[in-house]
Amino acid sequence: MMNAILITMILALLLPIYEAWQDDNIWQKMLAFASIATKTSILILVVAVLRDDWTIGVVGVLILSVGNAALMLLAHVLRRLNEL
Amino acid sequence: MIGYLDLLLRLTIWFLLTADLSPANIFIGVAVAFLLPRSSTKRAVLKDWLHVLWEILQAIPIAYLEALEMIFRPHPQEVQTREQVKPNRTLGLIFLDIFLITFTPKTIVLKYQEDGWYKVHWVRRQRRGNGRVQERGGPETP
Amino acid sequence: MIDALSYGLMGLGVVFWFWGTWPLLGHRSVLYKLHSLSVSDTLGSMAVIVGLLLKIPKEWPLLVLALISLAIWNTVLGYVLAYCSTEGGGND
Repeated sequence: MMNAILITMILALLLPIYEAWQDDNIWQKMLAFASIATKTSILILVVAVLRDDWTIGVVGVLILSVGNAALMLLAHVLRRLNEL
Repeated sequence: MIGYLDLLLRLTIWFLLTADLSPANIFIGVAVAFLLPRSSTKRAVLKDWLHVLWEILQAIPIAYLEALEMIFRPHPQEVQTREQVKPNRTLGLIFLDIFLITFTPKTIVLKYQEDGWYKVHWVRRQRRGNGRVQERGGPETP
Repeated sequence: MIDALSYGLMGLGVVFWFWGTWPLLGHRSVLYKLHSLSVSDTLGSMAVIVGLLLKIPKEWPLLVLALISLAIWNTVLGYVLAYCSTEGGGND
């Protein structure tokens, strides 16, 4: 059961990856990246539970709690670049 | 003197992160919470914060309901409105208001303007009000 | 009972993921996609984490932290992306 959930989640992860590759608009790409970031960290948590290895889970929780600060900074940099 | 709400927030994060209630860990947590720098902006009022906390708890089921609604009935329409900020909000409370509005899937705050307005972006079902900017005074009602 | 509920929540989360990520491939505005992403990435992922929480209740402190930070970061990122993508065009 957990395996099935994991595989469907990986399939869902392919959608934003494909979108990031095929769309040339930078904001659409950023959206896809944000989606990839969240989905992978949730996947890490699911894998941790599946393998019953909570050290992996701690990594996932750390990633989630540090957050997508880098993406936010990048968004601001891009906004500034567009203003020039 | 010291923002005790601030301290409480830090200690909560610390205990959730370490999940350890031994005396040594409690001591480290309290020490770190005191040592971290504090901001000296306007003090928050406890009553406002409790109110906001309650609103966040309410927002979770509302967000899920809106999500289900969006799934079963398509919302193809995009609308922009302006909402007025409630008076006497500290910066933290304004942040929480923005959080609450953006958290529910049908609404996203685009911009907080210094003169006391939010620009809010909606998705809607109806055909009317096609993409134009509407002005409204009161608190948000869909 | 608890098991069924936990799988149910994870299933709901995965359904939200697919529903909300699918529009990403279409040709809608960034803001419209942001609305559907907030369904999938915030609410769907929260459902998945609550499902995991029911499966391993003994790790609740970390999972609750994950839940809270997920909700906050994703929402704030949504706001930042909305703000930056509309301001950059210089149409304000």
